[in-house]
Amino acid sequence: MKFKFKIILCIACLVLLAQLIRPEELSTAKAQTAKTLTGVPKEVANVFETSCFDCHSAQTNLRWFDKITPANFLVASHIRDGRKALDFSQWDSLATPQRNAMLYFALNGILSGEMPLSSYTALHPSAKLKEKDIALLKNYFLNNLVSKPGDAVSRVGQPKVKEVKNSPNGVAYLPGYRNWKAISSTDRFDNGTIRIIFGNPIAVKAIHDGKTKPWPDGTVFAKTAWKQEKGKDGNVYAGQFVQVEFMIKDATRYAGTKGWGWARWKGENLLPYGKTVKFDSECISCHRPERNNDYVFTTPLDIKDFKK
Amino acid sequence: MKLIYTGGILPFIILFICGCNSNPSGRINRQASVGNNASLPENPLEMTPMAVSLQAEAKTMSTLYGNSIASKRLNEVANYAPGSVVYLVTWKEKADSEWFGARIPDRVATIERVSIDGKGQKSYTFFKGPAWQEGLLLKGDREAIILSIPIATSP
Ligand code: HEC
Ligand code: HEC
Repeated sequence: MKFKFKIILCIACLVLLAQLIRPEELSTAKAQTAKTLTGVPKEVANVFETSCFDCHSAQTNLRWFDKITPANFLVASHIRDGRKALDFSQWDSLATPQRNAMLYFALNGILSGEMPLSSYTALHPSAKLKEKDIALLKNYFLNNLVSKPGDAVSRVGQPKVKEVKNSPNGVAYLPGYRNWKAISSTDRFDNGTIRIIFGNPIAVKAIHDGKTKPWPDGTVFAKTAWKQEKGKDGNVYAGQFVQVEFMIKDATRYAGTKGWGWARWKGENLLPYGKTVKFDSECISCHRPERNNDYVFTTPLDIKDFKK
Repeated sequence: MKLIYTGGILPFIILFICGCNSNPSGRINRQASVGNNASLPENPLEMTPMAVSLQAEAKTMSTLYGNSIASKRLNEVANYAPGSVVYLVTWKEKADSEWFGARIPDRVATIERVSIDGKGQKSYTFFKGPAWQEGLLLKGDREAIILSIPIATSP
């Protein structure tokens, strides 16, 4: 009996002592005054504030059990990684298109079932989203955040860029993708673009053979985006070129970035996108809900050879 | 309280694991793929994609494909040369289950073929897809409409 008591006392002391070790972020974090998502109706902003702000903004509202060592280390890492992926605190500094992109990113995080983290909702049940919250968000997006196509501008040809610089992570531009096959196309009403997803011959063969889990080394996707423009006939056509993005599969070479080399070139001058070598963590973060599909969103067309 | 919530997650985890194993060969958009049962002389999806368009009212999306002669227009400003073959494949659109904010091809509605022979003579053929409905296509001279679709150019 006495021995047991000693052990319990020891453990209690250790737990108490451990409380002196705390993640720096949490002890320096001040309770920020509540900031709302300007321009978004209150009930919509409320959903994000209640369920997401603890990990995706400077405005963390921690409960007592979040502050106990070792739980607080987990909480701190969630906030660190969460804010890296999506930070609502930047809201006020963003222009409308970036705000809309952030909202669509957030909603898709919810719809993919990834967010809010289940380990968090287990202890913070009020953060769990209800059917009616999701319906409210979807309804708001479809009624207010749908991009309208611009008017058609007449355009004669498109000068080719002679030399295209490498992406900051070293991935080189692949100029021949327009001769590849279209494995899908998308009408992106979230940002008013229309896209073709091209697959190189290795990709097309892998689809036909049903060997896309994982995609074989040498697979390359190129995704082009154009602004949507409304023609005189009322139909929407591909207007100004926005960007081209690549995913290049090499499980060994690109082991550090989920097996893919990621790159994006923007605008009619094909300027490489990204400020640092690790800019591609942004690509991976949004493609992450597709990790069971080798990080690929597209459900491709099967392109059959009729002569076979 | 804690226990109930943690316990509540378990069935989802199990469902999730089963969900990923059900289709080990990967996803394919089969209903949007063009089969060779439509009496088509060739598979348009094998040709070079040249343009994309959306028809909001009909809720359809189209891709214009060209053979090697037609697809020269990706790089040069010129009319379609003799020997050009183009296809306009039109699909019904559907919501992309992977991204709220995108629509992707569903079943094929129509396939149209325009060819220009050595003498510059044009001919038009129409193929009905499984999702065909009366009134889906813009009325008018389909041949001229298809040949005037603006090319999606890239630098
Ligand atoms: C307990 C903390 C926590 C909460 C609450 C939370 N997130 Fe996250 N979120 C994270 C972390 C951590 C990551 C980074 C995951 C990684 O990189 O492994 C993340 C990543 C994301 C991403 C990037 C894509 C992805 O799935 O990885 C999105 C989008 C996102 N969160 C949206 C939301 C939204 C919307 C909410 C509220 C409904 C929310 N999150 C609530 C911790 C949280
Ligand atoms: C905010 C989310 C998001 C971010 C960030 C993002 N993507 Fe994607 N990506 C998508 C979606 C959604 C698709 C599916 C096609 C579509 O709807 O346009 C996609 C598709 C692609 C494809 C076609 C293959 C596939 O996965 O379907 C490529 C290539 C690609 N992305 C490259 C990139 C690169 C490179 C980056 C980073 C520079 C990036 N993406 C960042 C959302 C994102």
